[in-house]
Amino acid sequence: MGFVMDGLDADAYDREYSDRALLRRIITYFRPQARPMLLVAIAIFAGALTDTAVPILISRGIDLVVANPATQIMVLLVIAILVLSSVSWGLNFLRQWLSAVAIGNVTLQIREDAFNATMGHDLSFFDDQPTGKLVSRVSSDTDGFAETVSLTMNLISQVMLVVLMGCVLLVINWQLGLITIAMAPFVAAISLVFRRIARETSLHSRRIMAQVNAHIEESISGIAVAKVFRQEKAVHDDFVRINRQAYRVNFRQGIVLNTFFPVFNATAGIGTAIVVYFGGLNTASGAMSVGDWYLFIQALMFFWFPLTQIASFWSQFQNGLSASERVFGLIDAEPRVVQTGDAPADDLQGGFEFRDVRFSYQPTETVLPDFSLTIPPGESVALVGHTGSGKTSIVRLVARFYEFQEGQLLVDGRDIRAFNLPSYRRQIGIVPQSPFLFSGTVGENIRYGRPDAKEADVLRAVEHIAGGNWLADLPNGLDTDVGERGGRLSMGQRQLVALARVMLHDPAVFILDEATASVDPFTEIQIQDGVEAIMRDRTSIVIAHRLYTVQRADRILVLDSGRILEEGTHEMLLAAGGHYAELYDTYFRHQSLEYVESVIH
Amino acid sequence: MNNREFTPESEYTYDRSSVWRWLVSHAMRYPMHVVVGTLFRAGVVVAAVQVPKLMGDAFDAVAQANAEASVLLGFGLAILGISVLRGALQLLANYTAEIVALRMERDVRDELYVNLLGKSQTYHGQQRVGDIMARATNDVKQLNYMVNPGLLLLSEWLVNMVAPIAAIGIFLSVDLLPIPVLFLILFLIALRGYLRRLTPVAGALRAQFGALNATLTESIAGIEVVKSNAQEEQEHNRFRVKAEDYRDLFVKQGKIQALYLPLLMFSFCLALGLAHSLYLYTNGALTIGQVITFMGFLAMLRFPTFVSIFAFSLVKLGTAGAERILAILNAETEIDENRAGIEQRIEGEVVFDNVSFAYHGANTLKNISFQAKPGETIAIVGQTGSGKSTLTRLINRIYEVSDGRVLIDGVDVRVWSMESLRSQIATIDQDVFLFSRTLAENIAFGVRRPVNREEIEAVAKQAQAHDFIMSFKDGYDTVVGERGVTLSGGQRQRIAIARAFLADPRILVLDDSTSAIDSATEDQIQRALRNILHGRTTFLITHRLSQIRWADRILVLRGGELEDQGTHDELMARSPAYRNIFAHRDERYTAALPATLVGE
Ligand SMILES: Nc1ncnc2c1ncn2[C@@H]1O[C@H](COP(=O)(O)OP(=O)(O)OP(=O)(O)O)[C@@H](O)[C@H]1O
Ligand SMILES: Nc1ncnc2c1ncn2[C@@H]1O[C@H](COP(=O)(O)OP(=O)(O)OP(=O)(O)O)[C@@H](O)[C@H]1O
Ligand SMILES: [Mg+2]
Repeated sequence: MGFVMDGLDADAYDREYSDRALLRRIITYFRPQARPMLLVAIAIFAGALTDTAVPILISRGIDLVVANPATQIMVLLVIAILVLSSVSWGLNFLRQWLSAVAIGNVTLQIREDAFNATMGHDLSFFDDQPTGKLVSRVSSDTDGFAETVSLTMNLISQVMLVVLMGCVLLVINWQLGLITIAMAPFVAAISLVFRRIARETSLHSRRIMAQVNAHIEESISGIAVAKVFRQEKAVHDDFVRINRQAYRVNFRQGIVLNTFFPVFNATAGIGTAIVVYFGGLNTASGAMSVGDWYLFIQALMFFWFPLTQIASFWSQFQNGLSASERVFGLIDAEPRVVQTGDAPADDLQGGFEFRDVRFSYQPTETVLPDFSLTIPPGESVALVGHTGSGKTSIVRLVARFYEFQEGQLLVDGRDIRAFNLPSYRRQIGIVPQSPFLFSGTVGENIRYGRPDAKEADVLRAVEHIAGGNWLADLPNGLDTDVGERGGRLSMGQRQLVALARVMLHDPAVFILDEATASVDPFTEIQIQDGVEAIMRDRTSIVIAHRLYTVQRADRILVLDSGRILEEGTHEMLLAAGGHYAELYDTYFRHQSLEYVESVIH
Repeated sequence: MNNREFTPESEYTYDRSSVWRWLVSHAMRYPMHVVVGTLFRAGVVVAAVQVPKLMGDAFDAVAQANAEASVLLGFGLAILGISVLRGALQLLANYTAEIVALRMERDVRDELYVNLLGKSQTYHGQQRVGDIMARATNDVKQLNYMVNPGLLLLSEWLVNMVAPIAAIGIFLSVDLLPIPVLFLILFLIALRGYLRRLTPVAGALRAQFGALNATLTESIAGIEVVKSNAQEEQEHNRFRVKAEDYRDLFVKQGKIQALYLPLLMFSFCLALGLAHSLYLYTNGALTIGQVITFMGFLAMLRFPTFVSIFAFSLVKLGTAGAERILAILNAETEIDENRAGIEQRIEGEVVFDNVSFAYHGANTLKNISFQAKPGETIAIVGQTGSGKSTLTRLINRIYEVSDGRVLIDGVDVRVWSMESLRSQIATIDQDVFLFSRTLAENIAFGVRRPVNREEIEAVAKQAQAHDFIMSFKDGYDTVVGERGVTLSGGQRQRIAIARAFLADPRILVLDDSTSAIDSATEDQIQRALRNILHGRTTFLITHRLSQIRWADRILVLRGGELEDQGTHDELMARSPAYRNIFAHRDERYTAALPATLVGE
């Protein structure tokens, strides 16, 4: 069955926790719920008392009536049972309701923690974590965590019942009681055997479900590609494979979980048989009353049921533990980007200095081998170069999305690690290469960085970009629904929205990473004025393959394989006739009508 | 049968006319399992009823003082044997139920997945991936729980509820029946109320889970934007609102469960039953053994009463999930794959005949007519949002025209078999999507036959992707991140170009496919492109003049209308809009241009 487990390895950040560590962690989540939990415990205890009292009452009642069949006694008996069971019901209500409250709150708390931990990770974490798998941890595994709660509460009540009923059994007839209680260790032994298997199978089951989730996430978001290439069948075949594997893995778990109760029930049956036999003997010999015998057997039922529950607890609890392990693994994963200080960056000047920075995403491929660059505050710098030369990577380091391996990156003369990250990032506005919009309206997306911005400010930001004509093209203007990832806008429109977002944000440092690559040149030229205005009085970094957008930069850097080949102003570089001049020449050939004509004719 | 764009090779059909029919048709895919499982389950119940009966007999034996050790031993052994038998039957019954539940989970997920693959792009454009994920994993899982333990407990509940009452009538006395029967009736009435209250909450709970999942998915997908705007706090709040709503519904459900009246009724039934039986005993109508057996039977009702809370909740949650799944399965989608349609080699003539198109509401494209001859290269130009990409999506029928016709080789695209149509048209989308697989697999994605490494390398070289691929340690076996995030923008586009080249299509659509690529690299790609485009009809959306200039014909779009079309020279001569595009550019270039270059 080896293939069943293919690809079910732990994720890189998964850890193994000892049960004790897990339990301690779980308990901390319950501390804030101490009050409802205490009430639940009291309700459970009182409930157990009343639950125990009813069969006792019944059996005593039978004995009494057999001895003295008086109506009074019977009426009293009935009333007593009614009162007791009403109380018991009320207690049960309290218990169930308060448990739901406690479980709901605990789940909410762990969900939020898992969510925050996820959001707190740097981008390197997301490079190899499929969204679907992460989602699975935050939404589904946290539910599994809650399971430990309900199971534990249940356990408490069951243990109380078992202890109570054990006492009752001993009181009724201590010999029989001892025989019965002697069965408990067997049950415990069986449950311990199952425990190990249960933990492993449930962990595997969670992992495969995370994979199924990831597969669905990916293939549904990439469905257009499958359609375009008519590859639905290949995608489906892949899914069938993983779905079958999920079936097999879940099957193993299912078999394990479905084995306990029958086994325990059979074990309990053996106990009952023994009691019937010995009890019968005792009763026949007059050592025990019929009522006692009845009581004993009734009590026995009350003893077995919670005992099997307790026995199965450990195996079921493993499911919750494996879920907790996954959630805590996510929460505890070490971020690579770590700040050493907490300095606010409210008055950022925007001076940057890379000193011999070495950076790689993966240890095997160095992207920036030894990068040095000084950008004084207020300068506008353009990065050009072949694709894959590391332009975006530099910008990502500035935004502190990734940790670099060697060297120093100074911001306003201070180590970039010394800043409070949200405060620092708020000063930096990036228009990324592929614009991402959240589902909602255009207006909401522009407001994303400044949710409290006024309508007038939003319109002004829009106005800055090509006079805002593009907004008029949208069916509902600012209220146009953009769809998930902005899918209902054209690519260029998405870029314009992303640009407007940063315009509104009005950051101290302005970064454009191919921000207008999908916008037509006509519109792009109209944008230029707005963009240049914003670049004029602050530090800005512009990346573009369309070279006319970079000509006005104070300084142009030509990059190749993470190294700076040339730098200078547009005119200087052209005059130098080096790499830039060549790039520009090629570019120009593409864009000059006269040139094209001259080649043709 | 609904429209759909994809049908798997073999398929089992289910009845989707209502939730219960659908569920039954799923279960009935495994009739033997269901029948055998039910028999096992019946065996369990029969065995279970024997135990109190035996105990009652043992009491009577003892009470009548003829209990010799051997008789008692007989009873003991009988109970023992039955318990073990019951355990074995229960084991088998559980296994069969689990198998049915798991297979159903697998089948439903597959059914849903196939259905999603068959849904149109219009449909997918309106869905949220996170919600679909919640349906396909968690709601489907709920179905599993509904079958096992849900329906299992429920069937057990039914039998366990009826059997003891029947046993009272059969083994004891009809006189004892009124109270348990009354209990049963009241129980059913209370149950109805309970289910009424539970239904909306269960539905809302599942829907809220979907909403929670969707928010979560989106926050993770947009993590870069979240971080660069330092909006973690805002995302947290958004998430918390959803998670809190979920919690509130969960607590509401818990409260409804806690207020379960049948539990109280059961105790009343016990008390009144005791009174009644004792009364009959004092009248001499019952023996004490019968009273005890009667109470034993009544006590057996405790378990099903108790279990019914969970059984019904599980069933409710399961049907709520099933409804959400069925909502997708039964959603209409407008495009059908048209299996019986025309299948032939595309020559490459494309005609738009007065085509209009609307995503929803207002028309995005209005009355477009043009003709592309086989092998021609058609450039499409126009401002952002003018409808260029939209136009190309009508050619391979990703969207359906609202009005007019699109003809390929003189045949309406709606008459073509989708299989034949789409497999001969390749698109390089503006928004490149790569799968998190190896680069080789991504490049080979568009072809159905097995491809060898040489072919992949050949197209990768043409797309200028070979060099950077080889610079990676694992070369073509490098696994890229989700959507290709571990590649640079230009690298992603080149993989997409290679992918389209390898697909060897008859019609090629290049939607701004070199926007993130520097001019020098693009130049090289262009050269390869010239060879590849030869003999294929090509639609080229681009902002690069040189490419536009080379096209056989140019379509100028403006606000969804075809403003003009023709060759470059024609358009230069007559179209101010077209000239306008170049004029602006030229001004700017010439101004910035060193004299040496202009003179060249
Ligand atoms: N998240 C990542 N994980 C691993 N490698 C990456 C990642 N992002 C980029 N790379 C690699 O780092 C190198 C530089 O990429 P970068 O995105 O900085 O290039 P670029 O100059 O911006 O290119 P383009 O002009 O195409 O956008 C490329 O070889 C790329 O494959
Ligand atoms: N899936 C969609 N649902 C609704 N409206 C859409 C959808 N896709 C595009 N639109 C709208 O249709 C219009 C045309 O979009 P299209 O993507 O065809 O433009 P385009 O000419 O390709 O622009 P660009 O140059 O920016 O890519 C736009 O106004 C856009 O907002
Ligand atoms: Mg487009």
